Order: sequence, then C-alpha cells, then structure tokens
Amino acid sequence: MTDPQLKDKVEELIREHKVLLFMKGTPEQPRCGFSMRTVGVLDQMGVDYAALDVLPALQPLREVTAEISDWQTFPQLYVNGELVGGCDIVEEMAASGELAELLGVEQPAEVAAPPQPQPADPQQSPPIQIDS
Amino acid sequence: MAISLDEVRLLIEAALPGAEVEVVDETGTQDHLRATVKAPQFEGLSRIDQHRLVKKAVQARFDDGSIHALSVKTEPR
Repeated sequence: MTDPQLKDKVEELIREHKVLLFMKGTPEQPRCGFSMRTVGVLDQMGVDYAALDVLPALQPLREVTAEISDWQTFPQLYVNGELVGGCDIVEEMAASGELAELLGVEQPAEVAAPPQPQPADPQQSPPIQIDS
Repeated sequence: MAISLDEVRLLIEAALPGAEVEVVDETGTQDHLRATVKAPQFEGLSRIDQHRLVKKAVQARFDDGSIHALSVKTEPR
C-alpha cells in the first residue's frame, strides 16, 4: 500500500543528496532523542547535510523506507545513496572513525556528544518539504 | 501496552538461535528498550544487516505499539 509518488520522491532525495537524514523534527528542533543525537553527530562531523522531517507523513514514510531499505524506524542516515543506519549505528561509527571516513572528513577531536541540544548549523541546507 | 523485557529477549533468542541477548529498560516505562545481542549469525554482516535481524525479530511489537523505541547494539559471537 505504498504511495508511489512518495516513494519516487524519497528515492530522488536519496539520489540527490550526498548526506541525507530522515528525522523526527528538524535539526533546530528535533522531536525525539535519537534524532537529536544523530543531528549532534553530523554537526560534529562538520558536513553539509539535508534533513527531512518525517513527522508530517510518518506512517507513509515508514512504508516507503521499508520497501526501499528494509528499515522502518527513524532517524535514518543515508550517505551516497545508501542507508547507513539509525542513531545507534551512526554513533558507533562516529566513535570508531568509520563515519568520518565514509563522509570524507577528518575525525573530529571530540566525538560522541552527550544528549543535549546543539546550536543550529548555518552550513546545512534548509529542511526539505515534501509536497504531497 | 508495555512489553516485558523477557518477552523481547525471547523473541530475539528465537530468531537468532545461539545468541547471547540482554534487554534493559532505558526509561522505566518498558517502552524504550536497549537490546545488546551477540550472535553467531552476525559474523560477516554489516552493522545495518545485524541490526535488521534484531529489528525483524521484534517487528510485530513495534507495529502494535508495545515497543516505542529500541536501541540495539550488536556484535558477532
């Protein structure tokens, strides 16, 4: 029962953006602890990334990502068109240096941010809106 | 509807025979759980594939709302 237009749009976003985060809320106002922590990691990595708030279409987006990536929980980080994982995996890879390598950046000196609000990153793209 | 930690552990053990599984309640409300799983089936799998196996074991409980959030840590056994 996946919405084919939504699926096309999601696939397009994954292709278009080198680093893409599906999250609950926005980087400035995350609406879940896991999303907030994932944003924190990306901000520490210092990369540009695009963020999509899944809350306006949560169940339809779960169905779409289940089909595309066999994964239904959020946040989801995609890099170079592939699902990297959710918060747990992103944090583990950040600590091990694998995420910096994947993103093509220097490993930051201080990784594994404690769960607390991060200031907005002026470099990132504005939140994506899906018109359905 | 909350879920018992034992039930989650049993679901994962059933899906991954031979696994060492620990499930704890992160918030005291029995719906934010953390599962630490060491399983032979993880050998050679990427982290995401390891996590997929664990998530699949408890998918029905996500779908019916018993589990609100599940943190997963995996390693091959």
